[in-house]
Amino acid sequence: MNVALELNGRSVGLECEPDEMLLAVLRREGLRSVRATCGIGVCGACTVLVDGEPVSGCLMLAALSAGRRVTTVEGLSSADPVPRAFVEAHAYQCGWCTPGFILTAKALLADNPDPSEAEIGEALGGNLCRCGSYVEIVAAIRRAAAELAGGALRQ
Amino acid sequence: MSASGLDARVTGQLRYAVDAERPGMLHAAFVRSPHAHARVVSIDATAVGADCVALTGEDVADLRRYGCQVRDEHVLAAVARHVGDVVAAVAAPTPRAAREAADRVEVRYEELPAVYDPVEAVEPGAPLLHPDGAHSAGEAVSIGVRPLAGTNACHRFRLVHGDVAAGFGDAEVVVQRAYRTPSAAHAPMEPHAAVAEWEDERLTIWTGTQTPFNLRADLAVAFGLDEERIRIVGGTMGGSFGAKTFVRQEAVLAALARKAGRPVKVVLDRAEEFVTLNRHPSVIRVRLGARRDGSLVAKELDCWVDTGAYADCGPGVATKLGYAGVGPYRIPHVRVDALAIYTNLPPNGAYRGYGAMQSIWASERTMDVLAAEVDLSPLELRRRNLLRDGDRFATGEVMHDVQFERCLQAAADAVDYERDPRGKGLCVLLKGMQTPSRAAISVQRAPVGYVIHTAATEMGQGMRRSLQLLGAELLGCEPGQIEIAAPDTDTSPYDTRTTSSRTTHMMGRALEEAVRDLRTNSNERGYGEIRNEGGLDPDSGQGIASTHWHQGAAAARVTVDEETGKLTVDHLHGVAYAGRIVNPEGAALQNEGALLMGLGTTLFEAIEFADGQVANANLSDYNLPATGDLPTRFTHEIIEREGADVHGLGETVLPPVPAAIGNALFSLGLDVAELPISAERVLAAVDARRERS
Ligand code: FES
Ligand code: FES
Repeated sequence: MNVALELNGRSVGLECEPDEMLLAVLRREGLRSVRATCGIGVCGACTVLVDGEPVSGCLMLAALSAGRRVTTVEGLSSADPVPRAFVEAHAYQCGWCTPGFILTAKALLADNPDPSEAEIGEALGGNLCRCGSYVEIVAAIRRAAAELAGGALRQ
Repeated sequence: MSASGLDARVTGQLRYAVDAERPGMLHAAFVRSPHAHARVVSIDATAVGADCVALTGEDVADLRRYGCQVRDEHVLAAVARHVGDVVAAVAAPTPRAAREAADRVEVRYEELPAVYDPVEAVEPGAPLLHPDGAHSAGEAVSIGVRPLAGTNACHRFRLVHGDVAAGFGDAEVVVQRAYRTPSAAHAPMEPHAAVAEWEDERLTIWTGTQTPFNLRADLAVAFGLDEERIRIVGGTMGGSFGAKTFVRQEAVLAALARKAGRPVKVVLDRAEEFVTLNRHPSVIRVRLGARRDGSLVAKELDCWVDTGAYADCGPGVATKLGYAGVGPYRIPHVRVDALAIYTNLPPNGAYRGYGAMQSIWASERTMDVLAAEVDLSPLELRRRNLLRDGDRFATGEVMHDVQFERCLQAAADAVDYERDPRGKGLCVLLKGMQTPSRAAISVQRAPVGYVIHTAATEMGQGMRRSLQLLGAELLGCEPGQIEIAAPDTDTSPYDTRTTSSRTTHMMGRALEEAVRDLRTNSNERGYGEIRNEGGLDPDSGQGIASTHWHQGAAAARVTVDEETGKLTVDHLHGVAYAGRIVNPEGAALQNEGALLMGLGTTLFEAIEFADGQVANANLSDYNLPATGDLPTRFTHEIIEREGADVHGLGETVLPPVPAAIGNALFSLGLDVAELPISAERVLAAVDARRERS
């Protein structure tokens, strides 16, 4: 079947099987930042934004993305403060988990521009980093929040 | 860097081993044994479909046994020795078609008796896993392997220092304890993946591996080829922690590609990861004798190290586990006996810490038990016995650049231990770096800047960045002007392997030579090589365990809810001695990562087996530390010394975490001897304390 959606700002039609997951289809499209890891929705390495909400690509049928707006880190602008903050905070080691954390952080900051550390921790409950870069990841998100707010944050 | 100028890790442009592709490639799926020990009676692969290729026993009849330390592994198992042992494989046009075809392969088995516990496995009458005896792997081995014929012990490491019987005769206080540690998953986020291709009788494998040259050597043995006919290209790994070492998925993949006559790719799924390579479970008995004043006089360690169905590097792990368990102490009389033992569990191999965590858990918990017996503070007991510069370790080596006391004191200070030690625990460790080993590197002038060729591999530990920084310092250029070429056995100079936290130390020194060579001979290309001699005699434990020591410590402060057994780590602090830091941000990340992995090991990580089946082979039932698991205070420090060498620190602060937390519990009268420290075990310790009083 063919699914029409907006992918990283472009209207596209994706060929897929009716029972195929979005993760597999996006990887076939060359979007390799979406990464198969746990396959059961607990690690966040396959996170994509669907209409701005973080979704596990390994659990969402590709067919259900029809007519929706799907974003991966390949679609972020190089001026986006969130990935920049990850670079500045050195918030990764192997980098495998990084795209998923960046997208989760983007969704968090869209909802809550000034999250506390506890709120950040809660939002990151579905993202795992086996390299254990969490301290820097939380710092990166605080940094991105400050950047987005032009420095005017409560903390 | 990508076109946007941002690090490729944030733009999604970084390519990993899992992304490798070759034109016309097929995809593989493996057929795995559902039994822990079973002879394959017959395989019927006729139903796989016309566009698929099946690999069964007869296709690999010409291939030989291989193994990095013991040649006991087969490309396909005719006798499955663990659940998940690969008995056949299928290649198909898509990964999904391959999986479906593999499920259509019919295998008949004859079940054999199995054993799952290392202590039971060396008792008389235990089923033997390799009854025809394991063959030593010859020159590929970095240690002498001492199998016990007719048993499941593939290696026995002994260390004898002084006269332990006389030592215990002198002791005024003796404590004896036994400890257990479970299997654990490395769980790198990126699974094992590779592509194999044959062209003109030459094999190329693109794979995520920490050990390109060891992999090449093992495959040369298996396929009966000259090493030059095999090329290993190492991809960037999405984590490894020891999981991607020696031969894993590569041998069967190469055999499948040979039969298919086309390139074949495999990516393991998460459940397969749990039967591919895990951490060695262990049982460790410690006997420690001291004078009333706390000076140690004798120590005995008996270690049962479960290497699973195949030896892999189990002999090396048992060796390091054995001597690391002696601890950084002056003890005149020591005896260590460590067995690497086959069981019908999936193979166990290198795991961040390489056995040190297991014996340090046992040994450092025992120190606090002794401290209570001789009525000394655990900190003071350690101080009185720590090795100092010029002392001899139990292996006979004279210690130099000794920083144990500094590390220990820093850990103690971080939790304000001396003011009030209740609810707090300490641990100090000594760990060696792989000997013997060799590292070579070359540096070449490029139109702009330089290209470094090395077989060192990148798995997130920051090897590339460290070499760029070191190179920039030596060459007087910007780090960004140095390109680090991908590890490739055709073009990279030889390196033993990227393990044992040795790369920054060894490669850094080799790079200094290479740069000197480039300058003095004004060549286009400079070459540098460092050899690290040594090794321990397996029968006496004497020799050179390490040319430089990984030294560190940890401290923990905990609270316990005695109603529910909930253990909360309020503060965890790790200290590593780094000599000189090359890459400060990378060093901090590595230290924190190791500390957090240690926390997972302590609190909840364990692979559960039921009759050899993994009962929690997914990332929902097998928990990995998440952001919410960070202790309220999570701190670390890296100790430097003016003029010191660069020391590796990728592993140092993992091994001391369990004992630091276990000792914190012990300070509250709660005595836990088995990892992980679950709520059930805390509650059992609360009950035991009640019974004692
Ligand atoms: S792979 Fe989808 S959440 Fe882990
Ligand atoms: S940086 Fe490696 S998994 Fe997060």
